Amino acid sequence: MARRTWIGAACAAILALGVAACGSDDNSSTSSGSSSGSSSSSAKKNYKMTLIAGVKGDEFYITMNCGAQAKAKELGVTLDFQGPDKFDAGLQTPVVNAVAAKKPDAVLVAPTDTKAMYAPIKQLSDNGSKVALVDTTLEQSDFAVSQIASDNEGGGKQAAKTLGELIGGSGKVFVVNVKPGISTTDLRAKGFEEGAKEAGLTYVGQEFDDDDPSKAAAVTKAALAKNPDLKGIFATNLFSAEGAATGIREAGKLGQVKIVGFDAGPKQVDDLKKGTVQALIAQKPAEIGADGVQQAYNALTGKATEKQIGTGFTSLTKDNLAENPDAVYKASC
Amino acid sequence: MTDVTTAPADEPELDDDVEGRSAPFWQRLVAGSSTWIGLILLALILVFSVLEYDSFVSTANARNIATDAAVLLVLATGMTYVIITAGIDLSVGGVLVFSGVVSAKAMHAAGGDNWGVIFLGLGVALAGGLAWGLINGFLVAKAKIPAFIVTLGTLGMSLGAALVISGGVDEREVPFKLITTIGTGRAFDQVPYLVLIAFAVAIVFGVILAATRFGRHTYAVGSNEEAARRAGVPVDRHLIKVYALAGTLAGLAGFLSLARFSTTTIGGHDTDNLQAIAAVVIGGTSLFGGIGTMLGTVFGVFIPAVLQNGFVIVGVNPFWQNIAVGAVLIGAVYLDQLRRRSQYRR
Amino acid sequence: MPEPLLEARGIVKSFGRVQALRGASFAVNANEVVALVGDNGAGKSTLVKTLAGVHQPDAGEILFEGEPVEIHTPLDARRLGIETVYQDLALAAELDAGANMFLGREVMRPGVLGRLGFIDKQAMRVQSRDAFRNLGVALQDTAAPVATMSGGQRQGIAVSRAVTWASKVVFMDEPTAALGVVQTRNVLDLIARVRDQGLAVVLISHNMPEVFEVADRIEVLRLGTRVARFKRGDVSMGDVVGAMTGAITHDEVDRPEAEPRNQKRTHPPGPDAPRR
Repeated sequence: MARRTWIGAACAAILALGVAACGSDDNSSTSSGSSSGSSSSSAKKNYKMTLIAGVKGDEFYITMNCGAQAKAKELGVTLDFQGPDKFDAGLQTPVVNAVAAKKPDAVLVAPTDTKAMYAPIKQLSDNGSKVALVDTTLEQSDFAVSQIASDNEGGGKQAAKTLGELIGGSGKVFVVNVKPGISTTDLRAKGFEEGAKEAGLTYVGQEFDDDDPSKAAAVTKAALAKNPDLKGIFATNLFSAEGAATGIREAGKLGQVKIVGFDAGPKQVDDLKKGTVQALIAQKPAEIGADGVQQAYNALTGKATEKQIGTGFTSLTKDNLAENPDAVYKASC
Repeated sequence: MTDVTTAPADEPELDDDVEGRSAPFWQRLVAGSSTWIGLILLALILVFSVLEYDSFVSTANARNIATDAAVLLVLATGMTYVIITAGIDLSVGGVLVFSGVVSAKAMHAAGGDNWGVIFLGLGVALAGGLAWGLINGFLVAKAKIPAFIVTLGTLGMSLGAALVISGGVDEREVPFKLITTIGTGRAFDQVPYLVLIAFAVAIVFGVILAATRFGRHTYAVGSNEEAARRAGVPVDRHLIKVYALAGTLAGLAGFLSLARFSTTTIGGHDTDNLQAIAAVVIGGTSLFGGIGTMLGTVFGVFIPAVLQNGFVIVGVNPFWQNIAVGAVLIGAVYLDQLRRRSQYRR
Repeated sequence: MPEPLLEARGIVKSFGRVQALRGASFAVNANEVVALVGDNGAGKSTLVKTLAGVHQPDAGEILFEGEPVEIHTPLDARRLGIETVYQDLALAAELDAGANMFLGREVMRPGVLGRLGFIDKQAMRVQSRDAFRNLGVALQDTAAPVATMSGGQRQGIAVSRAVTWASKVVFMDEPTAALGVVQTRNVLDLIARVRDQGLAVVLISHNMPEVFEVADRIEVLRLGTRVARFKRGDVSMGDVVGAMTGAITHDEVDRPEAEPRNQKRTHPPGPDAPRR
């Protein structure tokens, strides 16, 4: 008797799994029947694309997805969104592998490591998908139809200039970075260091937080302990800025140490309004996403593509926030 | 169930045949603890195949799933032994990272791009894992500290040591030969070496578990440690060996991960311990000890791997995927427990 | 007078602040069944576990065949030929009957495989099945985990295990506690058979009728020391119970003939009686 109920329960569970899988695909193509890329007679083909974020819970990528979805709708393309739990090559690889199995027409991907992600992402291209690298890039990227990113080095320099102005032209500055091997943050830190030198600031070094706000808070407090006369901090991405602000607050140095953060997520904007953070260098992730979709579409329809696209920044302060509502990242579309 | 009788001549027929071979294969298969988990895995594969045949069913996809699961399989092999002894090892993720870091540093320091350097790296990784395993074993067996506490401590210590040695920064200089052979190379151009190595490990240690005295003592210690002690089984020494094995395999896993990603991926192993434990438990091993098979562990490793792959292919919202994997884990173990409970009297 | 096969003198054992044994003594000869009786907390199980190598005594000595020995581990006891049926059976529930029978004494496969550590499960199953059959323990499936069996079957397995391996002494701590009438009968018969084969059997039991049926001698433990020794034929159940509760004390030196009954109260307290 127990065996029969057990088998029944097993069948029910598997059925439920199937229904859930069918029912819960937001943002994705309808999975009725197989899709084997045969050309349809109508002029506009419904291309299938996937956006693979660097990490799924980050408002930067969510905003990128929103922009990409809007452009996809405009072009009549369906766009799927996937990403790993943490910004890590080991976690992103299985996601890329699974997307490779789907052989979508195009993939927009933000590689989590310039070297380690080469092989899995190249696989996408080898399978026939058009690959656009959004935000971060790879050391070897010739197979990609386009690379779209902010001018991160310029952004870093901009941050140094802004921070210099905030702290009165001179003093010790420190960088809270993510981890080496990410093209974007590497460039931002590099740009900042050069910009700090040009602005006459004393650059005391950088620490890594592995894209974890609590680690960012910890290294910030440690830096403050080591350099009691620290005047400014540059945080190279969203989670780093979040953590640095927390660290300053917990160390009781609110207002005494100025923070310039990269990325303008809702929490950073909150900190900006409260005065914990003094300036944010906001990228344009929606534009990156839209550009990525456009470039992939161009490649698929035989139009010309741009190998490198640099998107711009908005320098946000408490005062000019009201004038730049679109610069703030979204937590959901 | 018949009771003890006075006249041996009157006893009922036994299921065994005269020579003492156990019940026929098909009977053992149906009653086998891993069989039903295997069927669940098969069912999942079928569901995804039906939903997205072209994408899901292909050698390339199967190869990817297997490669993605390879490192976890090595971890889960060691974890199987530990959990069968009614213990637990939370330190595997940290030991994996530590071993990868010291191995990478050693290879970097030695320089060169040849098999000698690679074997050096392997040796250092295994030694690193063994060291942490021995620490775990001694503290659990001799100091009598609960395994949960010991391995929670060594998780922090091994990860911390890795961060100290690496400066918190991934070591990304790995001999190219290692990457092209073990890391991404394939035997007969089809089967990745990583997958071969992982399966070889599972098979070897599965056979040891099922057919040797070491394996039987593992089950005995887990089932009733005091009974094993009284029967003359060297329990303390055995526990140390089991934890040392788990640590060494975590070291091997660190080396394989290094070969695959050509970077130490320090931040990506925080949940390795729970994933390995989940794989072992899904496979039918009881957290209370004494029950489990390596075949079950293999199935248990592949169920989450197939789920993750399938969900991405089918297009499940990524934020729902974690929920779904957790739900399937609970469901699979619950069904297995139902089957078990119908068997046992106590 | 042949010396006892196994003898304990003045064993002291404490667990924290509780002194379980306060100079307990004990002796058993070959070809003999001795019942070790006493009220709850008298120290019977502790004494048995000490002689079986599970506990180490704080003081006192153990003699085997007249020679002092150290029994530090269960393996030491085993090597002397001492086997034990524990009160909790000490069976690994998830292992099958054969595995439990051969626990710690696994049969290795012949040749190279055996040296590599491979065990011969079939041989163990066959040999244990034969042992169970010979001793009257009937199991439907020797490959099933012991946990799926009834309490009586489990006790049968534990008893079979000790009896199969013992070459000198068998301790049985409450071996019939979980058994029904027929099963108890079998165990008592088994005890007698084992004794007749030349081994020494030590039986701990609360069940006086059983004791009086099968034991040759009775040693009484109370509050951690031996307070009385009786030959079964010389004593009544009431006297034994009296010794257990402290109402009377009695010591008997081995005599070739049985003593008349009326002597049981007039003997002076022997060296083992507690000093008040």
